[in-house]
Amino acid sequence: MLTSEQSIVEFKAAQVFPDKLKRNAHRHYFEFAEQMLSIYANGIGQQRRQLHKQVEKLFQDEADCPIRRIDAFCKLLDDKSVYYTDPDGNAARLRLQVFSKAAQFHPLVSQRDQLFEHVENDIKHKIAKELEKPWDEIEQCLYADVMEYQRLKEFEGYSGASEFLSRYNVAQLQAALYKAQTMRIWASGDFKTILRYAKLARLLHEIKRIGPSQYEMVLSGPLSVLHETRRYGISFARFLPALLACKGWRMSATIKTPWNGTARLSLSDKDGFSSYLPQPDEFDSSVEEAFAKEFGGERDGWRLIREGEILHENQTTFVPDFVFRHKDGREVLMEIIGFWTPEYLAHRRETVRRFRDCNILLAIPESSLKSDVVKAKDIVTYKKALAIKSVVEALCEFKIKVD
Amino acid sequence: MDFEGKNEQIILKWDEGTLLLDGWPSDNTPYNMGIWRWDSRVGNWRCDAIYYQRIKEKLSQTANFRDEVMQPASVHWPKVDLPTLRPEQSEALDNWTQSGRRGQVIMPTGTGKTEVALAVMAQTKTATLVVAPVRDLMYQWHRKILKGLGYDAGIVGDNTFDIRPVTVTTYDSAYIHISRMGAGFGLLVFDEEHHLPGRCRREAAILSTASMRLGLTATPERSDGLHKDLDFLIGPVVYNMPFRRAKGSTLADFDVIRIPVALNDEEQQVYSQCSRIIREYIVSQREENPGYNWQELCKETGKDPKARHAQKAYHLKTSIESRAEEKLRVLEDIFRLHNGQQTLVFVGSNAMAIEVSKRFLAPTILSHTGKKERLAVLDGFARGMFKVLVANQVLDEGVDVPEAKIGVVIGGQGSTRQAKQRLGRILRKNGGSQATLYEVVCENTKEVHRSRSRRRSDAYERTIHRRV
Repeated sequence: MLTSEQSIVEFKAAQVFPDKLKRNAHRHYFEFAEQMLSIYANGIGQQRRQLHKQVEKLFQDEADCPIRRIDAFCKLLDDKSVYYTDPDGNAARLRLQVFSKAAQFHPLVSQRDQLFEHVENDIKHKIAKELEKPWDEIEQCLYADVMEYQRLKEFEGYSGASEFLSRYNVAQLQAALYKAQTMRIWASGDFKTILRYAKLARLLHEIKRIGPSQYEMVLSGPLSVLHETRRYGISFARFLPALLACKGWRMSATIKTPWNGTARLSLSDKDGFSSYLPQPDEFDSSVEEAFAKEFGGERDGWRLIREGEILHENQTTFVPDFVFRHKDGREVLMEIIGFWTPEYLAHRRETVRRFRDCNILLAIPESSLKSDVVKAKDIVTYKKALAIKSVVEALCEFKIKVD
Repeated sequence: MDFEGKNEQIILKWDEGTLLLDGWPSDNTPYNMGIWRWDSRVGNWRCDAIYYQRIKEKLSQTANFRDEVMQPASVHWPKVDLPTLRPEQSEALDNWTQSGRRGQVIMPTGTGKTEVALAVMAQTKTATLVVAPVRDLMYQWHRKILKGLGYDAGIVGDNTFDIRPVTVTTYDSAYIHISRMGAGFGLLVFDEEHHLPGRCRREAAILSTASMRLGLTATPERSDGLHKDLDFLIGPVVYNMPFRRAKGSTLADFDVIRIPVALNDEEQQVYSQCSRIIREYIVSQREENPGYNWQELCKETGKDPKARHAQKAYHLKTSIESRAEEKLRVLEDIFRLHNGQQTLVFVGSNAMAIEVSKRFLAPTILSHTGKKERLAVLDGFARGMFKVLVANQVLDEGVDVPEAKIGVVIGGQGSTRQAKQRLGRILRKNGGSQATLYEVVCENTKEVHRSRSRRRSDAYERTIHRRV
């Protein structure tokens, strides 16, 4: 991720536009990216500041490139680099050694006179001799631990110019979010992924159903309800790649402007950002996958939608595996309990109990059922694969609860 | 044990820098206190942790109330070894205690603010979080707590996260981690408190339940006026010792000598060229837009290559100003003139510090300098083995430096506070003898203006102008 100092945003009509390199307008950046990658790939052993200077030089005659963009490129390249950091403190030890030797000759003058006879070059030569190393080498090592002077050890790099540039675009989006206060998401799918990553980023959610399989989620942190805070900006930035990997969403974040106003950062899955996270898996288990494939789009008036609704109470959420919607308006959720550990099953049971007033049909493997459990109407059992027939029967018999 | 049923139990809980009131009905603001907000996301009332004391007083009158907020541990100091306070220090301590153990103490640098804070800690004997501006100061607090109170404090910052009942940290780390560690401290000490009211950093005070708070500074004012909020964040000013009073008594007298240096021909040429580029660009922009200024230029650097050119020219100018070769020559003259005297050299950038260090083989203290090296360098300087110590902004505030009579400022920005702090550094009581601060600035550059603004501070009233 970038630092705030590398963030470039434009504010126009209360909208925030983070810097974005476009396929056409910035076609020539492709070549820049390749050159930057090769500077680093060929730069093993060079100092950080030398590498940065080379990158900067590339853009010398480029009209369209702010300094912050160059700094951001360097940061993204450094993120994939390992530098020699002198963890044993060799440079510090050398400094103390050299400075202690030199102290008695202070001040080192450029020219000898009657009062001062210790000439800079003579003393340096003398110390070099004592340490049995040429002075140039000593001087090179003297501040080798300072960040700018560290030498490149390894460069992992990016898979190519195009990945590097798309990483840049995402990084600028993330950096713009450092100043975000809340994030509003309208989603029509991939709810599990969105909610799971929001929770991982320690964000709180507020969920509103705005239509069948349509949800509005507002993300913020504990403090946000009390006053404006930037505390959760980093969390939004961390969360973003997960959102970019999802489908069927748009998002609007409230961003604080430098002149203390607010602006919006709007984004959707159509904006062509690619996440470095993989797309969410379509199915949690093979039982689910096999069932969905066999069921097809519709049977006996029931349409099957994967992870189509969110059940929620305060900060607990539950996205059942499937929703069945009947032509006549009936709607039944189904959760397939897989073959899992007893702990997992207990946890699942607790969640289901919490939302027992919702219309949930449970599919449970026979082997997980204790013998003394009375089979309820809203439970179907299965051995290895879930049979369509038993599910459709259960659906037809399901008593819809109305609140 | 309460048997009236779960629903009526009212529980106050800590939640990441806020307090949650569980069990209070949503349609009725607790005690009509405007500090509460209903948080529908979790189904509880919520407020900032800073109000903890007020809430507790109210709620303790309520039946079925349970307080689950972590309480500060009491601290036993293994070995108290503190100096007797001077009259002004005791006055500050007494005023703070009498004003409900909340408030700000304003004393000039070098008059023993830290000693007041340690006396406060010795007296309050409660879990304490000390917040300092930079990690050097954080380590310095750690050493002083160890020396004065015999306590090995925890450290949060500098890639360490080690919370103990008494912990030292920096403003940046406090801001980041306060939502984790804001409960459990009885006393907060804000060193150089003028760093606290910033839009983010203030959360270090707001997200903590500590009832006792002490702020320390020589210079509370902020140019953005936010220092007014310190009353809320810490408490009222309980003691204010003016700079003038300090100067004649506990601080030594000092001279300020400004040495203008000329750039060499090449530098001057590049410098003038850069100035011309910037001037011409701004003039050309003002033809269309009379109010055009530097900020607008910076905004346009992405689109307009000329604007970027002008910005680059500006950066080049700045680097010429701070790195002029001539400054190294002047430095040599000062070293010759004060041979045998301890001399501190302040520089504006790491690069310049390293240049001076390599030229004179003098030790440096930079922002990244490790603990061990720092101690060795400061100790070597205190013992007089090292005659010169080169430092960047790190030493600007509050870091205790061994006595020196000669200070040299090279580069640096012209804020009043920095000037006071830097002066304080070399003007520590040093046997009553005269101290001298040299300012080495480039002639005909904007550094001269900075030097002027630096002198506007009352500490600079007796500046002497001298050409070397």
